[in-house]
Order: sequence, then C-alpha cells, then structure tokens
Amino acid sequence: MLTTGFKLWFGFFVAVVFAAVFAGYTSGATETGPLSLGWKGGVGNHVSYTILVFAAGVLALFGLVAVAFRDADAEAQAEVLGLDEAPAAQHEVGSSLWPVFGALGVGTLGVGLVVHPAVFVIGLCIVAAVAVEWTMTNWSEKVSGDPAANAEARENLMRPIEIPILGTIGVGVLVLAVSRILLASSVTGAVWVATVVGIVIFGLAVLVSQRPDLPRVAVRGILFVGCVAVLVLGIVTAVSGEREFHHKGGGAHQDDAHAEADH
Amino acid sequence: MTTTDNAAASDSAPTALEQAVTTTDPVALARVWGFGGMTSILLGAVAGLLVGLERLDLASADVFGSADEVFQFWSAHRVAFVLLGVLPALMALATTVVPRQCGGSLVFPRAAAMACWTWLVGAGMTVAGFLVDGGLGTPGGGGQREATALTMMGLLLAIGGLLLASVCVMTTIVSGRAAGTGLRDLPYTAWTTLVGATVWTGMLGVLAANAVLAYVDLRGRPAVRFGAEDAIWEQLSWMFTHPAIYVLALPVLGIALDLVSSATRTEQANRDVLLVATAAFGFLSFGAFAQTFFDTPGTPVAEEAISVVAAFAIVPVALAIVGGLADTLRRGAGNLGSKPPAEAVCSVLAAVLVLAATAVGAVRVIAPLELLDTSVTGAHFALVLGAVVLGVGAGFHHWGEELVGPKGRRPGLFLLGGLAVAGGTVLVGVADLVSGLLDQADFTGVDLATAGNPDSGVDGLNLVSLVGSLALLGGLAIWMLTGSLHTAANRKGAA
Repeated sequence: MLTTGFKLWFGFFVAVVFAAVFAGYTSGATETGPLSLGWKGGVGNHVSYTILVFAAGVLALFGLVAVAFRDADAEAQAEVLGLDEAPAAQHEVGSSLWPVFGALGVGTLGVGLVVHPAVFVIGLCIVAAVAVEWTMTNWSEKVSGDPAANAEARENLMRPIEIPILGTIGVGVLVLAVSRILLASSVTGAVWVATVVGIVIFGLAVLVSQRPDLPRVAVRGILFVGCVAVLVLGIVTAVSGEREFHHKGGGAHQDDAHAEADH
Repeated sequence: MTTTDNAAASDSAPTALEQAVTTTDPVALARVWGFGGMTSILLGAVAGLLVGLERLDLASADVFGSADEVFQFWSAHRVAFVLLGVLPALMALATTVVPRQCGGSLVFPRAAAMACWTWLVGAGMTVAGFLVDGGLGTPGGGGQREATALTMMGLLLAIGGLLLASVCVMTTIVSGRAAGTGLRDLPYTAWTTLVGATVWTGMLGVLAANAVLAYVDLRGRPAVRFGAEDAIWEQLSWMFTHPAIYVLALPVLGIALDLVSSATRTEQANRDVLLVATAAFGFLSFGAFAQTFFDTPGTPVAEEAISVVAAFAIVPVALAIVGGLADTLRRGAGNLGSKPPAEAVCSVLAAVLVLAATAVGAVRVIAPLELLDTSVTGAHFALVLGAVVLGVGAGFHHWGEELVGPKGRRPGLFLLGGLAVAGGTVLVGVADLVSGLLDQADFTGVDLATAGNPDSGVDGLNLVSLVGSLALLGGLAIWMLTGSLHTAANRKGAA
C-alpha cells in the first residue's frame, strides 16, 4: 500500500515535473527539449526549468524514502528493529554549551569573511573545537545507560586535552591584551597601570582566600568581569594604537636601539 | 577540604544566564524564536510606517535623505517581515506545538538550539548591516559595500538557522510520531507545517544560493553583475512576492482549521479534501523558479504562463480551504456561545485575508492591466503578511499556556490587538491596491518618475495606507504588551 508521505511527495514530484515541462513549452522551448531534459532541443527559460527539475528530483527522493520506510511509522520502526514497541524517537538531552558556541563560531566565520581574515580563522577554530566537543559529547552519551558514568567517561577523555589548550589560549589572550594596554600607555603610565592592576588582582585573591564561604557565583563573577575588562581594554587600546617610539639616530628599527617618548 | 571543594559542593547549580544559553528545551528556545520574530515584525512595521510617511509626498525626500535610503528601509521592511519575523515566529510553534501534536518530542534538540542561535546571530548581523548604511543593495549604489556584505552574510546565517530548524521539524513529524498516528491523522497545524517546511526548505536553499552568488561578486574587485548594488535586491526579491510568500500563509491556514475545530468542538468534515487542498496550496507556493533577474529575452517570468496559471489556480484552492473552515463554523456555531474565543476570531480573519490576498495576486498578473511593478504588489504583500501575522498571533495566544504558562492571559487585550492588525492590514491592502490601479509604483522613491507618475488620487490613498500602517503597528504593540504581561505573570508565579 502506498503511504501518505509517498502520496504527498510523489504527488509533488509529478506536479513539479508537469510544471517544469509546462514552463518550458510556454517560454520558448522546442518540442522535445523539456521532455528530454534539454538533450534534444531547448528548454525555454533555463533558470525556471532547472530549478523545477532539481526540485522534482529531490521530491521524488523524498517520496521513495517515505514509501521504503513506511513513513517511519512507529509500528514499522518496531518491526524493523524486531521489538514490540518502537524506542523513543528522541532521548531527553540536557543543557549543552555546544549549540550556542557553534552558532557563535558560525557567526564569527561570517563576520570574519566580511571584516578580516584573522576573525575568520578564529571562527574556524571555534567551529572545529565545537565539532570535536559535540562529537565527544554524543559519543559519551552512548557509553552506558548511566548518565553519570557517561559524563565521567567524557571528562576522563576530554579534560586532559581541554584544560591545557584552554589554559594556553586564556593565558595567551590575556598576555596579548595586557601587552596592548601597556604599549598604549606612556612609559610612566605603563608602570602605574601594571602596579595598580597587580595590587587589585593580589587584593582580590587575598579577599577570596579570607572568605572560604564566598559563593562560587561571586568568584566566577569577579573572574568574568576582570577578564572581560582586560579584553575590552586590550581591544580598545589595540585599535587606538601603540605610543610613539622615537628611534635613536632615526635609522635602524631595532628594539634595543630605540628610546620611548613619554607623552 | 579546600575552599574550591566547599564552594563546588554548596553552589554548583548553573546561573540563570548559563541556563538560558545552554538550554535545549524547545519551549525555552521557542520564546527566543517567538520574541525575536515578533520584535522583527514590529521593527519591520516601523520601517514600513516610515516609508509610508515618505510616500505622502511623492515628489521629494522629506523623511529620508535620498531614494537609496528609502529603498534601504523599504527592503528592510520586507526582509524583517519574512525572514526575520514571520518564519521564526512560525518556527516557535513548529518546534513546540507540532511535536506535541505528533505525540512525541522534538528530534535533534541540540541542532534545533543551534538553529535558533544561528538565526539570532544572523538576524542581529542583518539588522546591523541595514543600520550602518548597508542593506540589500540600493538603486543608486549609495550604500556602503562592507555593510551590504555584512547584511548578506547575516541573511545567509539567518537562512541557515531556519533551514536547520526546518530539518528538525520535518524529521520530528516524519519519524517522531506516536504509535498509531499516521501522517494522515495529524492535526492540520502539523500537516501544513510538514507541507510548508518541504516547500520553504526547497526555496530557502535557492535563496541562499542567490545570496552567495551576489556576495561573492560583491567582494574584492568591482562587481561584474550579480553583486552590483542595483542588482542584489532583484535577485532576492522573488522570496518576497507571489507565489513564494503564500508558503508563509499555509501553516496559518492549518492553525485556523485547528483553532476553529477546537473552539466549535466540531471535527472538520471532508478531511481528505482539506489535506489535498492544503498540499496543493503548498505546491502552488513554490516560487523559486520565478526569478525575474534571470529573465531571458522574451516574456518575463512573472508574465509567463506558469506564473499566471499558478496565481489563478491558488484562488479556488484557498476558497476550498476557507470553505471547509466556514462549514465547520456553521456546524459548530451552537458551541461558540456569545463570546467566541479571541484566537478563533483572529484565525478566521487571517484565513479570509489569505483568500482576499490570493484574489489580489490573481488580479496582479492580468497582463493587460500591467500591475506587476505597481503598488498592487505591495498590497498583495501586505495582505498575505498581515494575514500571517494575525494567524501566528492567534496560534501564540491559543498555545500560550504551553509556551509561557497558565497565568496572566488577557483575551480582551489580545482581541483588541488582533482587530487592529486585521483593520490595519485591510486599510494598507485596499489603499495600495487602488493606488496600484492608478499607476503608483511598488517602490516609489522620492520623485514622480520613480513613483510611476500616478494619478493625483494616490495622495489620499497613501494617507489611508499610512493610517493602516499605524493601526498595524498599534496592534503589534498591544500584542507585545499582552505577551510581556503574560510572561511577567508566570515569572512572578514561578518565583
């Protein structure tokens, strides 16, 4: 018996084929062109004809898949699997970081294509990292029937990789951002900035160590705000540029041969 | 035990922000789709209103600085309604209500979450692109190339998100149904979503290909053809006109059939006829072939027989569906009582507007009248999109309990907003239809030649259209207020 899905999509296929042939004949095709996919003559409006023919192909495929798998009815699935009842189509999944990071990665790729290749490469790295993480999450969920054991399996495999990589990236980005801030400041200003920032970080660390009951959210909040502040300042100062460097003798551009002007 | 261990033990629950961005719960994500979509519709209505204000004086630029700026807002109005507004709002219902109607849960919830965030990022980039003097090209080439590229890229991401979500929805309907529920047994909302998703998946892919072609040519050296500032919109415009926009109306017809059936507590008669009619409506909505930009010498594609036949054929199909709806109303009238549910009223109005829009679409393609480039096209767009917004709003109100919660529903306020949306749509549609018959161009620009040198009567009609735009905007604002109050009441209840 033909299934409802087959009737829908194969019906679409037949209708679209008729539409393609009709469009061909009414837009200047030869007698045999639209019937032979352009092999024996012209098809009229190429764009219309091509799009309709491709749509017909896709819809025919949908129809054939629907009838082959009996519209994926639960009874048919159970029969194929040799079970009395088909398993749930979708197991419950918990929260996940990867969809939102995936979207941000794709967004970064898009912005990078428009703005700068470096941003594009960052997007590429994010997408690649998300692809690996997402795959490993899916793998770990099939290790056993116990979600806790599955999560542990994932942690055991991925933590030794994630922590060093994330740590390196984090330190690298922060060092880069701080260096931009210091290079944008005057010579004396850079000393003051480094001193004040160092004292603030040290003071906060002492405060946190003295308050063991401090909520974890507060600690995370302090770290988040601090990192965002450094990053934003780093980006702003990178855009505004470094301070001027006056070269001794006005000739060689070597690091050890220049003196900095305080301005 | 260390400090960290203590803290971890006492405070390991994720924060509200973490929960919000990492959730894969379709209901939570539907709020992003729904709120984002309705906000875009509101912004699109504002853009439409500003263009309407500019149209009050066809001979000069009063609100905007140039014709290019008018064009940017005019095209932003259409993009905001279709790709950033109505489709995402439909996706909110498709990812929550439809799986429940199928008796299961959404398949690929993580992919659906990624689709939602990707659409959101893309929508943000598109809006940013329009705001920084980009958009989808300008007739005078006065836009910023980088900003235009950003808009195109945002559009591609938004399309990507919508496509991915459509795949999740289609897979859910096909393979996530409960035992004993065949495709033929599905409620109309789920059925029309399956048909609609089949069609818009096919069309969005082609639209993405158009956008890639234009983007690649736009970048680097001066554009050869596809990326030229004055050529981009024409390549994408088929998505915002007959027949492609009808596909947005299809799920709304399904919503109307379900809501009326629920309100009258009466089963639809001739179910198979309605299933075939809605499938035929979907088939006749496939508009990717009607690409005016690629017209070959001879008859333009919009005037070719296939376009004309499709425009006329969809009228009796829509009539059959609305007839089915009327039959159910007639048979179940006794159950409606003196105060029929607000959402049923709005959904019936939406279905009638869709029928009216198909009639306008048929008039538009009558060759001797030469209406294709006139504001009849705008009237057609306004009627279809107004009907869709009305139907989607009805769906949100009907299933609001599942999406937001049971408290704080305000049917009176919702009905007021719905009537304003319907009234505004009719005013805009009728005024633009008559203006089109008086030769006013679809895009009027800021001089009489671009406006098509219409008869003097269009001035008054443009004022009526502006009043309609205001009513539409007011209705949408009332709905946003209703939705916010509904959400706030349930948040307070949960707290």
